Amino acid sequence: MSHMIRVENLSKKYAGQLVLDVPELQIPAGQRFGLVGNNGAGKTTLFSLILDLIEASSGSVFSKEIDVQKSEAWKPYTAAFIDESYLIGYLTVEEYYAFLANLRGVTKEEIESWTQGFESFFNGEVLNQKKYLRNFSKGNQKKAGIVGALIGKPDLVVLDEPFSNLDPTTQIRLKNLIREEAEKHGTTFLISSHDLTHVTEVCDRIVLLEKGVIVKDIETTPETLKELESYFSN
Amino acid sequence: MKSFSLLDSFSLTKKNFFRAPQWELKLAVRILMGFLILYFLTAFLFLGIGGFYLLTKENPESDPILLINPLLGLYFIVDIVVRYFFQSIPVTEVKPLLILPISKKEIVNGVLWRSLISFFNVIPVVTLLPFCIVFSVEKGLNASVWIWFLGLVCLSLSSNYFSFLINKSKRTALVFLALFLIGYGLHKFSNVSVLDLFGKGLNQLYLELYWILIPIVLLYFSISLTKTYLRKQLFLDKGLSKKKEQIVGGNLNFFDRWEGMGFFLKNDIRLIIRNIRARQVVLTGVFFLFYGLFFFTQELYLDKPFVLVFAGIFITGGFMITFGQYVPAWDSEYYSFLMCQNLPYRKYLKSKLYLMMFSVVVCSILSLPYLFFGFNVMQVIWAAGIFNFGFGSMITLFSGVYNTTPMKLNIKAKAFENTQNFSLIQMVFILPKLVLPVLVFYLPFAFFGFNAGLVGLVITGLLGLLFQKKLLSLIENTYQKKKYKTLSSFNK
Repeated sequence: MSHMIRVENLSKKYAGQLVLDVPELQIPAGQRFGLVGNNGAGKTTLFSLILDLIEASSGSVFSKEIDVQKSEAWKPYTAAFIDESYLIGYLTVEEYYAFLANLRGVTKEEIESWTQGFESFFNGEVLNQKKYLRNFSKGNQKKAGIVGALIGKPDLVVLDEPFSNLDPTTQIRLKNLIREEAEKHGTTFLISSHDLTHVTEVCDRIVLLEKGVIVKDIETTPETLKELESYFSN
Repeated sequence: MKSFSLLDSFSLTKKNFFRAPQWELKLAVRILMGFLILYFLTAFLFLGIGGFYLLTKENPESDPILLINPLLGLYFIVDIVVRYFFQSIPVTEVKPLLILPISKKEIVNGVLWRSLISFFNVIPVVTLLPFCIVFSVEKGLNASVWIWFLGLVCLSLSSNYFSFLINKSKRTALVFLALFLIGYGLHKFSNVSVLDLFGKGLNQLYLELYWILIPIVLLYFSISLTKTYLRKQLFLDKGLSKKKEQIVGGNLNFFDRWEGMGFFLKNDIRLIIRNIRARQVVLTGVFFLFYGLFFFTQELYLDKPFVLVFAGIFITGGFMITFGQYVPAWDSEYYSFLMCQNLPYRKYLKSKLYLMMFSVVVCSILSLPYLFFGFNVMQVIWAAGIFNFGFGSMITLFSGVYNTTPMKLNIKAKAFENTQNFSLIQMVFILPKLVLPVLVFYLPFAFFGFNAGLVGLVITGLLGLLFQKKLLSLIENTYQKKKYKTLSSFNK
């Protein structure tokens, strides 16, 4: 099986303190990979290393066998939505999507009809709003950003806490959306979440980080949620 | 209800400062700024003291105050305009206070008091106080001078509150604009000059003491107007809400013709027109277009071609320098996003470089009216333009890499705080940006004359173009090397 992501002896230190230490981790292509852990467990650090946004103290991340620190060749098939800073605040949603479409080689006509398909996910609150992204509510910013990450059918989509700030209806729609995308295009999803229910429902595999170390790596079964809940209640 | 004192208000401001990220750096900048402000204050202090002697020496017959009064009308107009652009009053900071047991009256008073601590309110006092003291010493203690002083302080403080209102409420802004236009119209089309009237009013105040009532009433009026206004705005859906913004620059399809780059140019133009901070910086660039008037109108400089080069660099490169030195800081709010998009560094850099070069072309065309000062001047400006086009743009782009302080796009910079991105390295880069062109002109000029100087500038510019690819790679590598550092400071 080919790996989308392969992590080798990866570690990150801040001022001498080890915040992430992952000797080995492989994520196969097409997997919906869930990352859970308490605050400060190193979830965002791991994602930032995968996206080459911070420098590893040791080791490497390979994306389709490309060392992300040495080449930019992983960028064309990778998309991410980590927080609102992944939006360009002074653009409208349509302009932002046009920008992303341009970067990912999607034509203007394609993108317009494609975004129409998300009307129910947007619940009529995102498109044609005549306002800048910076003036959107947190929830709507998140919706806009997640859909933006899917433009151009990237092979790898990284989402940090996608369920927070969303209303219950949208949370359910998001789960369906992720499953559909993964099935239709074989997209690999990396999803971090504090919400154990959602993440176990949508992911095939859950990795549990604590203090920067992987303490559990399980394939999702009907018992996974219970197992995780009992772990976190101790 | 526990009273919320002025002291509490200060203490919040203090904590806000010391607990901000990178406050050490900010403190250093503040100290530097402190010296600058101190310098200005001393300058104004001496203006106040020296002003008296200067005026009495030049016009021993007349009363210096009567000489100053006619000028003050213009001063107050400039005062209000400058305050409008540079004085900001911290209204949104009161949001967390709303749900605490502090009465709204106290919150409003806190804001009003705090707005007094401003450079603009100190200037008149620092200038006028020594002037009046010297006046009293030289001419004997005299109540009318001090009444005059009090009157001017009241007027200056009214200007403080009115400019605040103009900033916040469109209606007040329109009223002031209308007043200004009426005044201008009267001045232009009739014999009535509002400025003269204002000066005469001040003379009256100086001669007949009861006129002091007018400025006092005006100040009282401005304060109570501001109070009522603020009191009404202290709701989340009123003054504390985010402003509803109209979409501007929605249709820039013109740029789509430019395959590849058009898209980035479109975005940068939107960045400029839709963000307060960006507009401010670009306005400074536009101001530089007029910089030449300062030099060319003086015979003294017209004979010294290398001074003209200096002016030419600013005229054609004003926007380039003001905008370019903040690349990539302009994109700091979403830099991580850009860094994981399918956007190679080179393309990103090129788009910024082209925007700068484009601006040089536009400024060079707009500089055409300088032809009025002679063909020589025009030649120097255009030669400087070519230098900027090819070489200056590169240097500016390169200098930006070292600028890793994040930029808050939609927040107005305060006066003397335009330094949020100030650094020593930026100072160092002034050399190649401003001194190098002068040298490149001056050396050939000294040996072979005027035309050789022009050729020196043009050749340097063309060399920049010739080696554009190489230089871009160099800049690209520097960007790559500094990527993580830049990211981490932008994300603070």
